[in-house]
Amino acid sequence: MVEKAEEQKNLAQLEEQEITVKIKRFSKEKGSWWQEYRLKVDRFTQMTEVLRRIKTEQDPTISYRASCHMAVCGSCGMKINGEPRLACKTLALDIVKIYNSSTISVEPMDYFPVLKDLVVDLDEFYDKMFKVKPRLYPDKDVLEGKVDHRLKPEDQRELWKFEQCIWCGLCVSSCPAVRIDPEFLGPAAHAKGYRFLADPRDTIYEERLKILIDSSWRCTYCYQCFNVCPRDVEPVTTIKKTRAHTKFMKEKTKVAETGEKHIESIVSSIRETGKLEEAKVYLSTYGLLESIKDMIYAMQNGKLKYALVQDTKVKGLDQIKKIMGE
Amino acid sequence: MEKLSYDAIVVGGGLAGLMAAHQIASAGFKVAVISKVFPTRSHSSSAEGGIAAYMPGNSDPNDDPDFMSYDTIKGGDYLVDQDAAQLLSEKSGEIVKIMESWGTLFNRQPDGRVAVRYFGGQTYPRTRFVGDKTGMALLHALFQRVSGIGNVDFYNEWFSLDLVTDNKRVVGVVAMEMKSLNPVLFKARAVVMATGGMGMLYSHSTNAYINTGDGYAIALRAGASLKDPEFVQFHPTALYPSDILISEAARGEGGILINNKGERFMKRYAPKKMDLAPRDIASRSIITEIREGRGFPGGYVGLDLRHLGEEYIKERLALAYEAAKTFSGVDATKEPIPVRPAQHYYMGGIDVDITGKNPDIIGLFAAGEAACVSVHGANRLGSNSLLETLVYGRETGNSVVSFLRDYSGSTSDMEKEAEKVVEEIYRFTKSETGVHYGEVLNKLRDIMWEKVGIFRDEKNMSEGLTEIMKLRDMVPSMYVTDKSSVYNTEFFNALELRNMLDLAVVIGTTALNRKESRGAHFRTDYPERDDQNWLKHTIAYSKGKTVEITYKPVKMTKWKPEARVY
Repeated sequence: MVEKAEEQKNLAQLEEQEITVKIKRFSKEKGSWWQEYRLKVDRFTQMTEVLRRIKTEQDPTISYRASCHMAVCGSCGMKINGEPRLACKTLALDIVKIYNSSTISVEPMDYFPVLKDLVVDLDEFYDKMFKVKPRLYPDKDVLEGKVDHRLKPEDQRELWKFEQCIWCGLCVSSCPAVRIDPEFLGPAAHAKGYRFLADPRDTIYEERLKILIDSSWRCTYCYQCFNVCPRDVEPVTTIKKTRAHTKFMKEKTKVAETGEKHIESIVSSIRETGKLEEAKVYLSTYGLLESIKDMIYAMQNGKLKYALVQDTKVKGLDQIKKIMGE
Repeated sequence: MEKLSYDAIVVGGGLAGLMAAHQIASAGFKVAVISKVFPTRSHSSSAEGGIAAYMPGNSDPNDDPDFMSYDTIKGGDYLVDQDAAQLLSEKSGEIVKIMESWGTLFNRQPDGRVAVRYFGGQTYPRTRFVGDKTGMALLHALFQRVSGIGNVDFYNEWFSLDLVTDNKRVVGVVAMEMKSLNPVLFKARAVVMATGGMGMLYSHSTNAYINTGDGYAIALRAGASLKDPEFVQFHPTALYPSDILISEAARGEGGILINNKGERFMKRYAPKKMDLAPRDIASRSIITEIREGRGFPGGYVGLDLRHLGEEYIKERLALAYEAAKTFSGVDATKEPIPVRPAQHYYMGGIDVDITGKNPDIIGLFAAGEAACVSVHGANRLGSNSLLETLVYGRETGNSVVSFLRDYSGSTSDMEKEAEKVVEEIYRFTKSETGVHYGEVLNKLRDIMWEKVGIFRDEKNMSEGLTEIMKLRDMVPSMYVTDKSSVYNTEFFNALELRNMLDLAVVIGTTALNRKESRGAHFRTDYPERDDQNWLKHTIAYSKGKTVEITYKPVKMTKWKPEARVY
């Protein structure tokens, strides 16, 4: 009887369900349109399999990229129900369950120019990855085989977390800073850059600072890259860690300098009042002249009253100082 | 047609291709790497467990390269060229050191040296690893390294169509940019085929979607031979239905295989070894269960880990646990992981010697899974494929360098031949009716799985071969519905299918021809190994519609064939 019940359960698990897949199509010749496909899937069906089946059984004209089907090659980045995801790492019926709808929409990643259907042009993405010199520059003696590297297991673990970027582009496609600031290298390149900046075996630390520090202060800390990364690389964490190296830089750019001042004034504001005094932080970050200019702008828009809110000190300030390690 | 000139062309941007390109470029020659995907999307990235290496001073004190060679030769059921296995072992430590110096983040011992672990078939532990993503780590490190040296131009997302030869000499490669469908003749004195495997020929495979055996077919069409093309490895435990590999470690740690009655069926097939029986036996047993109606609906059995306990599973079998959860939605602590055998690796390949040189065409080289150096024989050992890509990628690159130093190349233009290659394939887009690739593709994959798969016999293979021939005859009437000139993947899928069919005919014919069972080649009508008649390599040429078969002796240095018992 137990076996029978087990068998029934397994049959139920494989029950197929019909879904509708709405794909955003594009071709140079025909422009852009939405197209719908219906097919049956079971609880195991990955979205890469959904696409493969549509392509071989219903409509061969769909173009998409897919290779490893196990989330290590980074080919199949796309938007599924509006979320940036790897298609292989997404089970169709999970999406049906989360959104409580049997219709799934599939679109190309945002930001990148679309070449055809779900295939986007990643040239700019690759260019930015190569800008950070994404490779180890080891000591000459190591390259010549005279000595061996040693690496502490804990260093290996820390670096490996950030080395697991698979160049899929999902973080960049969802990054707001990349869109408005061409000088920002983007989350993936920063993860890659930091992985080598922090590698004790590397020899071009100064050069890496020059490449990474300015850009690191251009991130808005929105955490989208943290949310969408299919390998949990946490690009934003690497940007924070990179900023901490600003103090080792000899000639800082304006952006890096302002960034550092900003952090310093936040720290002193908290040390003094236990709160973030926005107006004061602004003043000490940007200086009097710049602040007056911005104040006039704020006044014209009726926002000055927010800037001038006076904060009172919190009780138990010494506790806060303790937390700050003072 | 546009023409570009290089000293050497490397087709394929996985580990073998990149390593060859590195050596050629470092010697001062101009290299083009042509890959149908961005290099880090190559199938090398999927390798999980590790890379075997004997490292003096960082290995078991009792180990030496001879033990390693012996393990490889016995694992390959004595169809291994022993000089090739010895070279592989001797260079293994060096290659790991090189990859480490280029930044690969190998797991470490407390004193900072590269760590090591056991893998199936090893007398002493030799596997070096980066978590469970060793292939990915090596591929990124190598690609990043090669992208920083001069002399290498990458042609990413370019599809290689055919070799152009002049009287058995390499003239170049015709390739097409996928973004624009623009064909270019890449002229070079040497071509290295490093195009990887062919898993897509089978309806169940752990391989990437891109593994369509392009390199084998290109070599065959140019008149080069494949060696031992009948040897295809099947892995018993691929996750259902995505066919992602569940490592042997799952059974090594105590996992058991069960059928739909909850029965531990391996007791009937391997009463002693049970679930730890070798890959081929386990694969055959699972298929028998499914065929006799004791599989689960959909066609799989269960890999049951539940009795090991949640803590143990999550700690010791992290990857199996994660893969089952992510890709099959199964919590391995609560229910069995659905598994079935799947094609995993191709031992056969373009015939080359230990310098990576093909004997048929001057200037043609091959490395990695695309090649058959005869290091894996009839059955590849775990942790040896990553090692082969790098060691023989390097050896091949070095021998291309000496070749280029001595050889001035063909002076013929061969432009007409290049034009012909392109005309041939444009037919697919020009016709308005005919056969569609999708119909043929799915049929081919089913035939290969059913008739030239894990169990083989005269009757099934003959039938299969007849069907494959029929499918191949449809190629000239194939057509492509998508007329777009930008990233038209239907067009490239059709070209891949043409390659798959050219290869399938050779696999079918040679498998039918080898009347014995050896390693991964198992025939129910000839279940024993027959060293008297079959301890020799198959050499196969494609001649029009037929396959011409000759033989080559296996190179023996130290080890005499003995029974393969574990």
